Amino acid sequence: MLIVENLHHSYDKGENILKGINLNVSNGEIISILGGSGSGKTSFLRVLSGLEKPYDGKIFIEDVLVVSNDYFLPAHKRNIGLVLQEKGLFPHLNILKNVCFGLKGPKKDQKEISIDLLSKFKVDQYQEKFPNSLSGGEQQRVAIARALAPKPKILLMDEPFGSLDRGLRESLREETKLFLQENEITCIMVTHDEEDAEFMSDRIFLLENGKLNIHQKF
Amino acid sequence: MFYKLKFFSPWVALSVLIFCIFASPIFIVLGSLFGDYSNNWIHLYNYVLGGYLFNSFFLILGVSIISLVLGIGSAWLITNYNFFGKNFFDWALILPLAVPPYILAYTFTGLFDSYGTVNNLIRELFVLDPSYIFFPNVRNIYGAIIVFSFTLYPYIYLATRIAFLNQSKSLREVGETLGLNKLGVFFKLTLPMIRPAIIGGLMLVIMETLSDFGAVEHFAVQTFTTGIFRTWYGMYDLQTAMQLSSLLLIFITFFLVLERYSRKNVSYTSGSPTYGKIEGKQLVGGKNFLCFLFCLLPLMIGFILPISELTNWALNYKLDFFDASFIKNSLNTIYLALIAAFLCSSIALIINFSGRIQRNKFFGFLSSSLSLGYGLPGIILAIGIMQLFIFLDNYIIFLNFVFTGSILGLLIAYVIKAYALANTSIESGYIRISPYMEDIAKTLTASNFKILFQVHLPLLKTSFLTSALLVISEVIKELPATLILRPFNFDTLAVSTYIYASEERMYEAAAPSIAIVLVGLIPIYFLTKAIRSSRPGKEN
Repeated sequence: MLIVENLHHSYDKGENILKGINLNVSNGEIISILGGSGSGKTSFLRVLSGLEKPYDGKIFIEDVLVVSNDYFLPAHKRNIGLVLQEKGLFPHLNILKNVCFGLKGPKKDQKEISIDLLSKFKVDQYQEKFPNSLSGGEQQRVAIARALAPKPKILLMDEPFGSLDRGLRESLREETKLFLQENEITCIMVTHDEEDAEFMSDRIFLLENGKLNIHQKF
Repeated sequence: MFYKLKFFSPWVALSVLIFCIFASPIFIVLGSLFGDYSNNWIHLYNYVLGGYLFNSFFLILGVSIISLVLGIGSAWLITNYNFFGKNFFDWALILPLAVPPYILAYTFTGLFDSYGTVNNLIRELFVLDPSYIFFPNVRNIYGAIIVFSFTLYPYIYLATRIAFLNQSKSLREVGETLGLNKLGVFFKLTLPMIRPAIIGGLMLVIMETLSDFGAVEHFAVQTFTTGIFRTWYGMYDLQTAMQLSSLLLIFITFFLVLERYSRKNVSYTSGSPTYGKIEGKQLVGGKNFLCFLFCLLPLMIGFILPISELTNWALNYKLDFFDASFIKNSLNTIYLALIAAFLCSSIALIINFSGRIQRNKFFGFLSSSLSLGYGLPGIILAIGIMQLFIFLDNYIIFLNFVFTGSILGLLIAYVIKAYALANTSIESGYIRISPYMEDIAKTLTASNFKILFQVHLPLLKTSFLTSALLVISEVIKELPATLILRPFNFDTLAVSTYIYASEERMYEAAAPSIAIVLVGLIPIYFLTKAIRSSRPGKEN
């Protein structure tokens, strides 16, 4: 599903933050990448999603080249879902419109898909409400539903459960994992929380000094 | 290699095109320095230029001294003492900014001329001979100094007041424990710390003074702007007018650079998340009254007196106040102001959006460069645009469109003058929008257009509206560029005020003047809001 070859990345021509990353992820596989702050986890996700252009290397999604030294497919053409710790819900759109945002086609179909996803993540009762009236956990459920709505090839999650308290965190990660497995969605999650990584993932990697290694502990 | 690729995009191209269009009049004016010098220039150089220089220096010296005393003095009193009317003066001292210098000049002569309202009143009250004149002639450089000082001091008051508000009480207490008395604290600690703010405010005062045309023309003071206007309109010598403009531009650039530099150092003031609130000391008796008088004086001369005189004219004007020409000029002004506001705010939005999407410092540079336009005199812009249009009309035939005398020139001048106002508002709106918004939107397959129109624009609604209002208030009072560039038989409120005043038809000037002052109150509202929310952190 996803092949990353010899990926290098740096900001403003400074020191490389990613130094030759290689990764091969199968269809429906969930992997986690652990690392401390400043290790380059988020940069890696931004490069995968197309929000950043890497300095060097290649990325293939479903055997199609999306990045090489002389080719770059921007984020809005990659069909990759992204969930951030900060949720990033559009404050001027209600919950339903937030989930519909990435959908194309007739409005009726968009609404149907969105309500179905909202109900799967147990927030369909808030569809007319605005993000600021929802709790942190509810907002994160909406954010995940919104990322999944356009049926992305890969879901990328950056510390998705980081800002939630223990009870909410456990129930949301369980529901998310179940949904991803049922729908065979490939997922890459970056986190600093080993427990989240262990619960969610088929494989765990450690990002250290710009290099990606299999986490020895697991 | 990707950094190079990233630089080329339609957004970069659009922003650079906008920059080139709006910067071209300036380069055209500066380019004249390398052209031929006519006999008019030699005459100006030999006999007049020295006078322009002397008058300009004398004017800015006098205006600077009085504005500094009024601005710093009132800000200091309001920050440190409690006296009668303090809360009122806190915001009311900004009101003179709503009165353009040329309107204060017209009312000032209406009030203090030999046979003006005040001299007449004194003669009537004390039953004096009709030839007795109490107030001396005000139509000279000293009158101009007073007019500029009392309309422009709020720039210094605002900058200083905000800087005082951001100063921590504990710094002063440390000074006192180190042996400084109250005066020592003021001159050795407080004043040096707010110096960048004072210089910033002072540079704005100087730039406005050098840029003015209406007031100096009314007081018959020979400065660069009146010289440029006469060379162009009297001698029909555009080349020499541009060469004079270049000299003024070099002058202004010097003050503009100083103002920019001082802004960088505003961080002298405390930005700490907690601070000791400066408690005002309660004043009683004579001191209370003196502080009240000190703050009342600039407000009285800069706002209350001109408004009273305008009202007096309006009441004495026996013809219809809202006559056909007033309505027509108002509609022309609104029409121009609305287009300019939309254009200016849209350009600020496009450049800020491009910078945001491209994450490239180049757009910050573009925006800062365009923002410098606020310091440029309208008359210089008008001359540059006029020359550009003459070139376009002579060499580029575009669908039989005649550039010279179209409203296009006015719009270009307005956008250059008001871009900084629009940009400040849009930029501060963008600061409040998390960059994650567009990241998420991109991964949801949204194009840049969709991000702009469905994510950013709805979130920037208030900023866009604020920006438009600020541009409108700037456009409505702009005089020299409008006077030169307006299409034939197309008057605005500012132009009709100027024409009435130059023909000494003061009563008829009342209606457009009042309209200009009322619209000028719009930015005052936003400035008052800004000053109230300017204190960083929270009180302990």
